[in-house]
Amino acid sequence: MSISSFFYIIVETFKGLYRNRWMCITSTGVVVVTLLMLGVFMLVNLNISHITETVKEQVEIVVYIDETADQEMLDELGQKLSAHSGVAGIRYVSSEEHMNRLHRQLGGMLEGYDAELDNPLLASYEIRTVVPESVAVLASEFETYPGVSTVFYGQGYVENLFAVTGVVQMVGLALMAGLSITAVFLISHTIKLTVMMRKREISIMKYVGATNWFIRWPFVLEGLLMGFAGAVMPLVALYYLYQFSLEWVSANNLAFLTLLPAWVVTVELARYLVPLGTGLGVLGSVFSMGRFLRV
Amino acid sequence: MIEAKNLSMKYEKGGRYALESASFYIDRGEFVFFVGSSGAGKSTLLKLIIREIRPTDGVLKIFGRDVGRLPRHRLPYLRRNIGMVFQDFRLMEERSVYDNVAFAMVVIGVSRREIRKRVPHVLGLVGLHDKAKTRVCDLSGGEQQRVGLARAIANRPAMIIADEPTGNLDPGTTLDIMNLLRSINLRGTTVLVATHNREIVDRFKKRVLYLENGKLIGDEQKGIYAHVH
Ligand SMILES: Nc1ncnc2c1ncn2[C@@H]1O[C@H](COP(=O)(O)OP(=O)(O)OP(=O)(O)O)[C@@H](O)[C@H]1O
Ligand SMILES: [Mg+2]
Repeated sequence: MSISSFFYIIVETFKGLYRNRWMCITSTGVVVVTLLMLGVFMLVNLNISHITETVKEQVEIVVYIDETADQEMLDELGQKLSAHSGVAGIRYVSSEEHMNRLHRQLGGMLEGYDAELDNPLLASYEIRTVVPESVAVLASEFETYPGVSTVFYGQGYVENLFAVTGVVQMVGLALMAGLSITAVFLISHTIKLTVMMRKREISIMKYVGATNWFIRWPFVLEGLLMGFAGAVMPLVALYYLYQFSLEWVSANNLAFLTLLPAWVVTVELARYLVPLGTGLGVLGSVFSMGRFLRV
Repeated sequence: MIEAKNLSMKYEKGGRYALESASFYIDRGEFVFFVGSSGAGKSTLLKLIIREIRPTDGVLKIFGRDVGRLPRHRLPYLRRNIGMVFQDFRLMEERSVYDNVAFAMVVIGVSRREIRKRVPHVLGLVGLHDKAKTRVCDLSGGEQQRVGLARAIANRPAMIIADEPTGNLDPGTTLDIMNLLRSINLRGTTVLVATHNREIVDRFKKRVLYLENGKLIGDEQKGIYAHVH
């Protein structure tokens, strides 16, 4: 390809985009919305799995001790738990320590509340198991031990979290599939308009012997640029949105939510959104041209 | 250069032949008129040559190649050797004369240097050197067809195909355009012209192929418009 034909292709691409600017903006807009949704889902997903990873690494079962239990019962319970073959390790957490933790997590919200006088929190043993999958069985066993008030394990809460996000994800995916089809349709429609406007040029190109690929390039680039723009814009938006949420989380002392840093997340998102956006664009241009370029 | 054997074309299955079992041979450097009443099959024959349509039957060889079997991706390279001239000119009317000719070169990847040299040269050949910057829509019909000719010869094709190139022009301008085609032919380019223009055909005394209802009914060297059996 000569320099003049290269410039020709580039100039024609931008001419096409400019002449149909409103349709271009609309099509790109649909790609933006689609990928923005996908991006938000991915952000939430990434962080949920990150949080559950950290949760897993931490305590698996919490055995709350009955208020009425005395020191002797407490020690006995501790020995019994640590002697159990399914237990990897235990740690005693007093009710004062629980209160301190709550103070750290909720910060200012507990201002003025006198924990010394009236502490409703129960002391507990936090237990790490040898096999993480055994928590449910072990928890029900521990419940029968003397001196035990309730047994809590994160598993159920994690499962619920996944069940809820699962439903949200299915709905989201269906919505995104619909939006993707709309995006491809709109892009192909936009490009069809430029093809129509350039009908005469295209027929001349065919008569003088331009190759089909040469004729197609401006249209392919047109779709590619729309798709690419449709991917970059949500990435920028998501970066700032995420940055903002991180600041909100730390400002509200919700530090127990261990979230991923913004740039890590953005790079991860880009790996999916950019190929997806450009893919949608190219698909749109492929659909728009077939009939016209066949001679 | 062009070799047709029992060449046939039917646009619709079960319909009538637009061209039926035509056989002829055209050599390099010839000037040939295709004549015949409306619907005789002249345009059909020219479209077969540039492979705008595929023959239903028979063999058509251009430059030694069977174009009926030419794969689609080879088509552009066949067309680069054939310059087309149309009755309705088919120019980009809003663009300049220069742009119209340069366009044909840009889109097949000719270098900028070559384009800058070649365009003024061909505009000189068709007598439009002083109109390079004029928009095509500001030209007369005859001048527009000169642009069409300049574009057709820009890439130095071995053959020029003109389908009623003077159909929209007055007699004086018609003669100018036909003379240009003749001078292009004298430089060695094969020229095929489909026409209804009796005066021109009689005056030029070139080879004439006669078509009627899709059949090739005559082939005369130094022929005249009216076919004599
Ligand atoms: N695209 C097409 N589809 C169907 N039939 C066609 C098509 N093009 C041409 N024909 C038919 O083929 C026959 C030959 O047409 P063609 O255009 O070759 O004639 P022609 O000699 O060029 O006529 P004219 O002098 O009017 O240009 C006619 O009967 C015409 O109706
Ligand atoms: Mg015709």
